[in-house]
Amino acid sequence: MITQKVKVKNESGLHARPSSVLVKVASRFESDFFIRMYGYKVNGKSILGVMTLAAECGAEMELIVDGPDEEDAMKEIAELFEKEFEISD
Amino acid sequence: MKKHHPKVVQGTAASAGIGIGTAWILEDEETIVRPEKIEKEEVEQHLEKFENAKKSVIKDYLHLKKMTDDEDVAAIIEAQIQTLKDPELNSLIEAKIHGKKYGVIYAVFSTFNEYIQLMETSDARWLNDRSIDVISIRDQLIHFLQDRRKKQPIPKKAVVLAREVSPTVLIQLSRMEISGIVMEKGGLTSHAVILSQSLGIPCVVGAPWKKYQIHNGTEAILDGVTGEVIFKPFDSQREEFKQREASQKHKLEENLKWTRKPHEALCGTKFTLRANIEFLEELSRLAPFGAKGVGLLRTETILFQTEKFDVNEQVDFYSKVAEASNHEPVTIRLFDAGGDKLLDNVASDANPFLGWRGVRMLLDEKVLLEKQLEAIYRVSGLHKGKLKILIPMISSLEEVIAIKKHIEEVKTKLLNDSVEIDPDVPIGIMVEVPSTALMAKEIGRHADFFSIGTNDLTQYTLAVDRVNEKISHLFQPNHPSVWKLIKMIKEGADHNNIPVAVCGEMASDPKAAACFLGLGINDLSMNTGAIPGVQAVLCKHTITQMQEFAALVLEAEQTAQIIELFKHWGNENPD
Repeated sequence: MITQKVKVKNESGLHARPSSVLVKVASRFESDFFIRMYGYKVNGKSILGVMTLAAECGAEMELIVDGPDEEDAMKEIAELFEKEFEISD
Repeated sequence: MKKHHPKVVQGTAASAGIGIGTAWILEDEETIVRPEKIEKEEVEQHLEKFENAKKSVIKDYLHLKKMTDDEDVAAIIEAQIQTLKDPELNSLIEAKIHGKKYGVIYAVFSTFNEYIQLMETSDARWLNDRSIDVISIRDQLIHFLQDRRKKQPIPKKAVVLAREVSPTVLIQLSRMEISGIVMEKGGLTSHAVILSQSLGIPCVVGAPWKKYQIHNGTEAILDGVTGEVIFKPFDSQREEFKQREASQKHKLEENLKWTRKPHEALCGTKFTLRANIEFLEELSRLAPFGAKGVGLLRTETILFQTEKFDVNEQVDFYSKVAEASNHEPVTIRLFDAGGDKLLDNVASDANPFLGWRGVRMLLDEKVLLEKQLEAIYRVSGLHKGKLKILIPMISSLEEVIAIKKHIEEVKTKLLNDSVEIDPDVPIGIMVEVPSTALMAKEIGRHADFFSIGTNDLTQYTLAVDRVNEKISHLFQPNHPSVWKLIKMIKEGADHNNIPVAVCGEMASDPKAAACFLGLGINDLSMNTGAIPGVQAVLCKHTITQMQEFAALVLEAEQTAQIIELFKHWGNENPD
């Protein structure tokens, strides 16, 4: 299991579109993926879970990845946050 | 064979055209589900039912996704599919079936509701808005499980029966080759009606079709010109409507021929017909109908759809409209809606049409205003000389001065950031409040143009709420006072040497359009579907004829006299 802290950088926060991108990427990996924020822990492959975090721009969260491809998964997921989910917003 | 009787429903004609096809009922009844327990032996079966329902709804979405080439629509559908595949949601539903022994329908219903409640009570406004998407998935699953769902997608040539249709659903329907829409509710100025006219879908509103037992597949006919709706017609009736359809089509084709001619009256006097646009879907109709650009771009919908009124998304929208208009101008009306629709923690107004809306709200919501202005000016740099800004709901000169100050600030900021802009974007005023019409001479000095919003001008002048069905008969755009105000607006504009346009629905009535020309107002904007009919009438008359007509209209003392004048004028000129 590996963990990493990230920050939501895109202006509108983790709204519907970025959530969808995040879930899509995370679901490609076999490893389990969870997000911990404000004491909540949600399944990162669950779009409803991710959306209901309603993470705003600047929110800090902890990514938890656990499984055979955890290294690759974490790398790609963290990169998404870095690149603001590659959607203009 | 059982003898049948046709059922005739009379509604209000809303969008021209004949639709002949089979009834297709658009469900909107509220989904009610009670907790029902199942036996242990039934668990497997209910889990399987859930799997099948999910698969079927996903399949529908995949199909829909394939049909669209719009990136935003595809992204929304993708999120819907992800929701259906959501592992947490699914395991909660499954646990309710095999753990708590609830029937599949209640398991689905209650689990979705937990999420929906979470979304609806969130502090994040965008999340509140998304709940409608989750509700629609819930209902699709439930309808499938209750076997209420249409087994087939909407058949071609369907006559869609609904209580009321939202603009979004209307756009979806427009892609399915339907024959027409019959709504139980709805006034003539609802967005769905305006959109159906613009997309050329026959539509009848205020038709109480529910009082008959209509089933999907029942043969149905509607006439968007007379407001008639007939179920199970006699053969003779079907023939009659087919003939009507042919003659309406013929007339439309005749009128369409006019759209290839110059915008000139019989005597050579020039006029300009432009399009009122709200959705990108409507842009493809600009060229075939000969619209000279966009005389009114409504921005409410795009702003509701974007997250936090994002500048880039707006830039994208305005650019697409500007590109579709070729070298013709685009008049962008600043966000015109009530504040309660868009901001959190705002109590809804008791009288929304007299409330915090249009420029009143924009001046209070500076971020919203500045983002919209920034987007418009960014696009203006790429389309120099093409964009115009229209300020809605002006009721005093102070508001004009205040908003122009904001515009200057946004321009300065962009110029300081070395953004290329068009510094000379004309700033116009929407004249729709009587106080502005009365002050047209004074306010005109501060405006580059006027645009008359006839629907609101009518409702404010006559004190008639235009969405209140009980007093809809009092909503009379042809009230003499409205015409007097229009004349006053024109005089105020002439005094300041600025142009006047009409972008209200009145411009789409060919005879009202002739009257506008008679008053010297030559720039008319309307839904694209109305252009051919208006152009045909204007091209067939001389400006002198129209001036005489306008003079008679302005002399009238009662609405009935004007309606009578309208009935008889212009019929002497043969087609």
